[in-house]
Amino acid sequence: MTETSNNQNAGAIRFGKANIVYPNGVVGMKDLDLEIKPGEFVVIVGSSGAGKSTLLRAVNGLNTLTSGRVEVNGEQVPRKDGRELRQLRKQIGMIFQDFRLVKRLTVMSNVLIGRLGHVPSWRTLLNLWPTEDREIAIKALERVGIPDKAWIKASDLSGGQQQRVGIARALAQEPAIILADEPVASLDPVTTHQIMQDLVRINRELGITTLVNLHFLDLAREYGERIIGLRFGELVYDGSADTVTDKDFEDIYGREVSKDDVLDEEAVDG
Amino acid sequence: MTERVLTAPGGRVGWATWTTFIIAALFLISLWAIEFSPQIMLQVPAKVAEDLKAYYPPDMAYGWEAVLPAIVESIQIAWVGTIIAAILSLPLALFGARTLFPRVARIVKFISATARAFPEILLAIYFVPIVGLGPFAGALAIGISSVGMLTKLGAEVVESIDFGPVEAVEASGGSRILALRYAVLPQVLPEIVAHWLFRFELNIRASAVLGVVGAGGVGGVLLNTLSYRHLEKAAAVLILTIIVVLAIDMISGAIRRRIINS
Amino acid sequence: MNGPAGSTVPSKPRRNWPLWLGVIGFLLAMTLWSAHGIGFSLFELVCNITRGSRLLEESWPPDFGFIPRLYEPFMETIYIAIIGTVVGGILAIPIAILAARNLTLGPLIWFTDRNFMNILRTLPDLFWAMLFATAVGFGPVAGALALSVFTIAVISKLWSESLESIDMGLPEAIRSVGGTWREMIQFGAMPQGLPHYVSYALYAFELNVRASMVLGLVGAGGIGMILKTQQANFEYERVTMIILAVLIAVLIIEEISEAIRRRLT
Repeated sequence: MTETSNNQNAGAIRFGKANIVYPNGVVGMKDLDLEIKPGEFVVIVGSSGAGKSTLLRAVNGLNTLTSGRVEVNGEQVPRKDGRELRQLRKQIGMIFQDFRLVKRLTVMSNVLIGRLGHVPSWRTLLNLWPTEDREIAIKALERVGIPDKAWIKASDLSGGQQQRVGIARALAQEPAIILADEPVASLDPVTTHQIMQDLVRINRELGITTLVNLHFLDLAREYGERIIGLRFGELVYDGSADTVTDKDFEDIYGREVSKDDVLDEEAVDG
Repeated sequence: MTERVLTAPGGRVGWATWTTFIIAALFLISLWAIEFSPQIMLQVPAKVAEDLKAYYPPDMAYGWEAVLPAIVESIQIAWVGTIIAAILSLPLALFGARTLFPRVARIVKFISATARAFPEILLAIYFVPIVGLGPFAGALAIGISSVGMLTKLGAEVVESIDFGPVEAVEASGGSRILALRYAVLPQVLPEIVAHWLFRFELNIRASAVLGVVGAGGVGGVLLNTLSYRHLEKAAAVLILTIIVVLAIDMISGAIRRRIINS
Repeated sequence: MNGPAGSTVPSKPRRNWPLWLGVIGFLLAMTLWSAHGIGFSLFELVCNITRGSRLLEESWPPDFGFIPRLYEPFMETIYIAIIGTVVGGILAIPIAILAARNLTLGPLIWFTDRNFMNILRTLPDLFWAMLFATAVGFGPVAGALALSVFTIAVISKLWSESLESIDMGLPEAIRSVGGTWREMIQFGAMPQGLPHYVSYALYAFELNVRASMVLGLVGAGGIGMILKTQQANFEYERVTMIILAVLIAVLIIEEISEAIRRRLT
């Protein structure tokens, strides 16, 4: 896999006094100032509705700011759909809680969707993919450990395998940034750990800036480097995973930590 | 005390009774309006029975000679009409989906509602003076009329899909067109093709009828034989039509089931 | 499990070429053969666009003065539709019930009834109209008879399928306490089946109003008869007027019918 960070800035994200207010009045993001350096592995936590998804989706333009700035690699994220936004999104891979694969297509086709931004439209419309891009797709599948499933229909896979395909799709983009929106929320505990390990490994080996939304606090502590806590759209915590305490989590959530906030139930005390 | 419990609460006359009463009234009014009399009611079965005798035995020689070509023509008309409608309705169905193209969809839905409003035979009345008598006019009429229905059904299928993969494609830098090709089409194609096949089954019946206004097919032959009261020939027309339509229904139905289950 | 080493990518499974080619070949052949058979020609179509626009000019504006003469034929259309729906609707009840696998009286009866129903469905409504017109003479009676048959076909197909998917708990319970077949149907199946029946009956009525528009073309009464004479005389402004009037009426009836159906479900 070719190195993606030739440019020192590749994968840098910055929010400046960013605000998002939804049409129905709900505040999704409030005066966010945040800087993320290339290659960082950031876990974002907060209770439901705290603005975790809003933050992620602001990075690739799926949510637009009401005011303020959000920049990727020093350039403003375009507010309107169009070529510029598509160019930006090519560099940003997204992983979803519900996997979002095209069920009827094969794993290979699903991963190739990650290359859509890089191949001329006329070729992709006719399903004529260049060998080079097929190679990239295969390498992505190898990196998540399921190259043998390449020609299987996506709907025939287990949840964990489908999420791996989702990760492979993002990897196929050869992105500078990966956004993972609650990637393990639909998975069983064993698979959850496997996927989190995959994400950490990819971040270390390829240097891709990774932002992960999690609602399980023990996972955040175990796998995160830097932890960001959101509450009602505001940044209330920004620190290292090594030093975060249960009290910090309580502040972020605004309440006591309960069993539902942890994956392994034995880990909760009192 | 017990008697109270056994009587239904409220009035004895519910809305169901009222509705039946109204419908019966409408029915009787209609009968009177078209000058239906008990006499006619007695004569109808007698006349029908009389006619039935004249239909037997069916003139199958005429059947092979004159009817089969006409049935073939009806099939061809239905086929071309359905193909035209299928090709035109696919992009229209995509653009007519509120979930994908909220602004354009309203216009598309309006156009399809207009096209749907016309029975094929009325469209044929307009097409015949334009391209002349014959099956070509029939195929065009069926094509336009079917586009309306197929667009509406197709748009409904598109609106019912999982939108997640579409967003995933766009989040990775794909354009909307590519999202249509890779996230929408794979989800909707089997169901839409099934709709095309069912439309073909219906169009066979429609094309059979168009012959009555000179737009080709079996209808004209039937009309002829009936006008001249060559009822044994008409019988041949009916028998062959029934057999062919049944056969096509069965084959098309089987294919449809296989596609939906793929 | 997590590392890139070890597993290899299998080769791409061979696409089933013979099947694909066969299907595409068939479609192409069928289309070309049919297009040729009906004299399809884009060239002609384009050439005749001018004729088409001339025709459209002649057809517009609609002859509004013609409206008074439309009242009676239009009402006749409605009467035919009502009679057809009521008669057909009543006759469809036993036919649909006996065609439902779970409610029928026995395999032989089911088989006969099923096929009878399918045969009724194969002939288009206009064919029935022509047949009845020949037998009992031109006029609205023929139309009403034709629509009755058509209604039986429509309702019995839709309703028998819907009956096949009802919950058989109550009907079976009635049987098991010694109820007759009729009692099972009346008290066990009908409560579930009736709402659908009404919905289908209204739908059939909508179809019948549309159909009786054109029945007159073959002499079976209704507004179609006036349509035919005007068209034969090339009075296209009147033809447009008729079509317009009927379409608006059909739309109104459909809206009312939809509203009633929605209140039921």
